[in-house]
Amino acid sequence: MIKVIPVEEAVGTQLAHDVTEIRPGEFKGPAFRKGHTVCGEDVCRLQKLGKNRLYVIELEEDEIHEDEAAALLADALAGRNIRWENAPREGKINLLAAADGLLRVRADTLAAFNMMDEVMCATLHNHTLVREGDLVAATRAIPLVMKRAAIERAAAVARSQGPVVEVLPVRSARGGLVVTGNEVYHGLIQDRFAPVIREKLEKLGGELLSVEYVPDDAHRIARAVEKTLEAGCDLVLLTGGMSVDPDDVTREGIRAAGAVDLCYGSAVLPGAMFLVARIKDVPVLGVPACALHHRVTVLDLVLPRILAGETVGRKELALLGHGGLCRDCARCTYPHCPFGKGS
Amino acid sequence: MDLETLLQSSAEAHGHLCPGQVIGVRMAILGCRLIGLTDPTSRDQIKKLLVYVEMDRCAADAVAHVTGVKLGRRSLKFMDFGIMAATFVNLQTGRAFRVLSTEEARELASVYAPEIPGKAPQQLKAYKRMPDPVLFRVEEVRVKLRDVDLPGPTRRKAACVRCGQVVRDGREEDGPDGPLCAHCAGRSYFQKIRDVPDPEAEPVREIQDIPELSGAGIR
Repeated sequence: MIKVIPVEEAVGTQLAHDVTEIRPGEFKGPAFRKGHTVCGEDVCRLQKLGKNRLYVIELEEDEIHEDEAAALLADALAGRNIRWENAPREGKINLLAAADGLLRVRADTLAAFNMMDEVMCATLHNHTLVREGDLVAATRAIPLVMKRAAIERAAAVARSQGPVVEVLPVRSARGGLVVTGNEVYHGLIQDRFAPVIREKLEKLGGELLSVEYVPDDAHRIARAVEKTLEAGCDLVLLTGGMSVDPDDVTREGIRAAGAVDLCYGSAVLPGAMFLVARIKDVPVLGVPACALHHRVTVLDLVLPRILAGETVGRKELALLGHGGLCRDCARCTYPHCPFGKGS
Repeated sequence: MDLETLLQSSAEAHGHLCPGQVIGVRMAILGCRLIGLTDPTSRDQIKKLLVYVEMDRCAADAVAHVTGVKLGRRSLKFMDFGIMAATFVNLQTGRAFRVLSTEEARELASVYAPEIPGKAPQQLKAYKRMPDPVLFRVEEVRVKLRDVDLPGPTRRKAACVRCGQVVRDGREEDGPDGPLCAHCAGRSYFQKIRDVPDPEAEPVREIQDIPELSGAGIR
């Protein structure tokens, strides 16, 4: 139960909550901490902060204070590679990445959690690449005091399908690239894919182990994929021949190499002619030509997810459509832009 | 109990598959689990169960189908409250849980099944996917049961002092001169037009032959 007392009568009582001070442009933070014993000098300052009345808390048996509530909520929300300290500030607990990796947010459970009365959790977008120590989410109970049962129910919702936030490790890929196309194979033009793919893999902690050049011939493409797998690659990427021209036989080659779960076409621009498949446990990605002309494409959205162990198929490629349109800005600010963040 | 199998048979019994069927089937699965009945329609469990439904919507049929409770067996009680909730009582242990369908679940359907267009198909898919704590709110409750509420033979009969109607199982009311049936006590749901002394001789009238029903707007 919360009682309200005039600030003049607060001398000798303990503050039930932090008292926040905001000096525009200069400072926002607690002027007084929860638990501080109010002395005579504080009364004037509290009044200057606009506090003429203060809360005094007398918890009933079935009630819970916001700090304890925040800890219960943080514990329920946090999954793998998330750390948090049981030291709420202004009732809020921050959830930090405990390792580098891909942030996984269960947006459905998060929505269900936030539909509960008196609790909240805000997170970064699902599938954001994060570094150890990054702030990825924060939670708090909204009132100072609430019913314990309501908080326990919110915690049960948070846990209902596994944790709401976790950081998935991104494995170091040993990638193999198969560059298809008569014009490159016969030396009419120089390949520019290999350096692009190498850079993207290395940024994610992987390496490009092999590069095979083959003409537009399904059989030779299939053979090159097999050779790449024999070389020990645990990720196969193919470039060229991903379009719909009669000469584009890369998809046929991927199938001939034994790929299954093949999905061609993504709801992303740039990247509509992207392909995902797998041969046994090895992901196979068909990268369309846009990867040469655009700094960021569907590959940048999908590759980290695949290396974090997620299955990307028809549904995942379809759900990328919302937010999957690159604005093609003169100065690219990805990942600090809406591209790929709608799903 | 497998959700898909139960859903299919429940939809067949009810007449169609709808989001309410999913709610009802899952409500029944959860309710039975909470009171410790794993196979409520089996011979040894069917007599341990009593279910109160608080709505006469699709979900009520699904609850009855999955649990095997029946109005005529007195194992199904209908409380006309218009609330999407049902209470499951284990008659052996006395434990009872009330399971309420949450309003949030309706608003969250688009979050749980974003790839499904259309309100009803989206709800149907989403309600299958939502975990129990999102779909339901649960309370442990105490249900005061009188002997006359239980399944089994009629415990008591009383004749209405006004019309003579026999009233079973303590549903009579105390009137100033003795027991009254619900109708004589003023709780009737109809207004009597006339007695029909010989139902076999009663002509079947088409709607156009009934002056008060054949007027404009009624048909």
